[in-house]
Amino acid sequence: MASDEEIRELEAAMAQYSAVAEEVEAYRRSMEEYIRLQGKNPETDIKTRLFTQINNEPNLQEGEPVPDQDLQQPKVVSMQETKSLSWKWLATAAAVLLVGSLVLNYVFFNRYKEFKEYKDKYQSLLVSQNSILSKSNLYKTRLEQMQESMEIIQDPKVLKVPMPGTKAFPEALATVFWNPQSQEVYLKVNKLPEPTADKQYQLWAIVDGKPVDMGVFEMGDTASLLQKMKVTGKAQMFAVTLEKKGGALQPTMEQMYVAGKIPG
Amino acid sequence: MQGLKARDQKIFSYLYDQYSPALYGVIVKVLNDDSSAGDVLQDVFMKIWRHLDRYDETKGRLFTWMLNIARNTAIDILRSKSHKMEQKIRNMPDDVHVVDSLIAVQPSTDYLGFSRILEKLTKEQRTLIDLAYYKGCTQEEIARVMDIPLGTVKTRMRNAINQLRTILNK
Repeated sequence: MASDEEIRELEAAMAQYSAVAEEVEAYRRSMEEYIRLQGKNPETDIKTRLFTQINNEPNLQEGEPVPDQDLQQPKVVSMQETKSLSWKWLATAAAVLLVGSLVLNYVFFNRYKEFKEYKDKYQSLLVSQNSILSKSNLYKTRLEQMQESMEIIQDPKVLKVPMPGTKAFPEALATVFWNPQSQEVYLKVNKLPEPTADKQYQLWAIVDGKPVDMGVFEMGDTASLLQKMKVTGKAQMFAVTLEKKGGALQPTMEQMYVAGKIPG
Repeated sequence: MQGLKARDQKIFSYLYDQYSPALYGVIVKVLNDDSSAGDVLQDVFMKIWRHLDRYDETKGRLFTWMLNIARNTAIDILRSKSHKMEQKIRNMPDDVHVVDSLIAVQPSTDYLGFSRILEKLTKEQRTLIDLAYYKGCTQEEIARVMDIPLGTVKTRMRNAINQLRTILNK
């Protein structure tokens, strides 16, 4: 392909001599035939996409024509232009830049090392601070729960009802804290075996000889705390049975683990 | 032509059917990349559609005009991508493999009208024409890339084009 200058010369010659123009046209037709012979069918959806795009084009008729270089004469990839820049200047500039960048690299690398040390220290501090914070939150919650429990236990109106194990489960032990005035009932598990996943312990109050449901309670970590149960204003006795998960309507007497009478 | 300038979509659709294989072939050859060629083709036809009013019949045939748009668009894309490649060629003019990868020509069997006609050109002749047309190389660049003297490039190029004309005129 010719350079821009060559093209200009050629066009001038074409305008002057029809023989040149004919020759150029013949060459062009050969090239175009060569190209046509190497044609390739594009994917069919490109046409669909093209027409969609055309139909979405707003106000084409009125729109200002956009200047577009690609509509001009054929171009050439010119490597000549870069040569015309003074290579000496470029070389000098490159050398200066290289030295400058080496120095800066050294400075920044040292800074970076320092910075990285601090960053590592900072991060490990952050981690330990976080773990301390979360631990301290945990202790705070536990402390609050303990305080709450203490207040309940120390309240003189609250009756402490120990429930020793029954004959079937002599090892078991639990305690009820009951405030007959506010009717609140709290349960403390002292020792109960961990039930299977489908079972739950249920607390009962015996009121005038009849069992009244006081709710099921959790085991595991929660078992170390006082658990608030349902309220009752009257009771002669408390007992715990093992029932299916969610509780039962009537206690299963064979599965009674602990039971205790109200003192006095 | 009037219908085209008035932007008649039916006529444009005919134009697409008529010329898209040739333009697509050019784009694929320039880019050596089938995956992006479809998008470029759509782009090229969008340009043609937008600038139909600037086509001047007195200056050349419509096909020539459209080919120029396709080729220039594709070469622009190639140039923006290929700076590194040029760098390589400049530094290693003796490395035959680099040259081979630059002028890599797509397997000819893919092409529609590709027939025995073009096989009458030697591989070197086709490479010369392809470098000039599809890669937009000047003769000086071809000389550097193929590592042959500029005078030889000019002679061989002339022979290649004459050969092409002879073959096509048969």
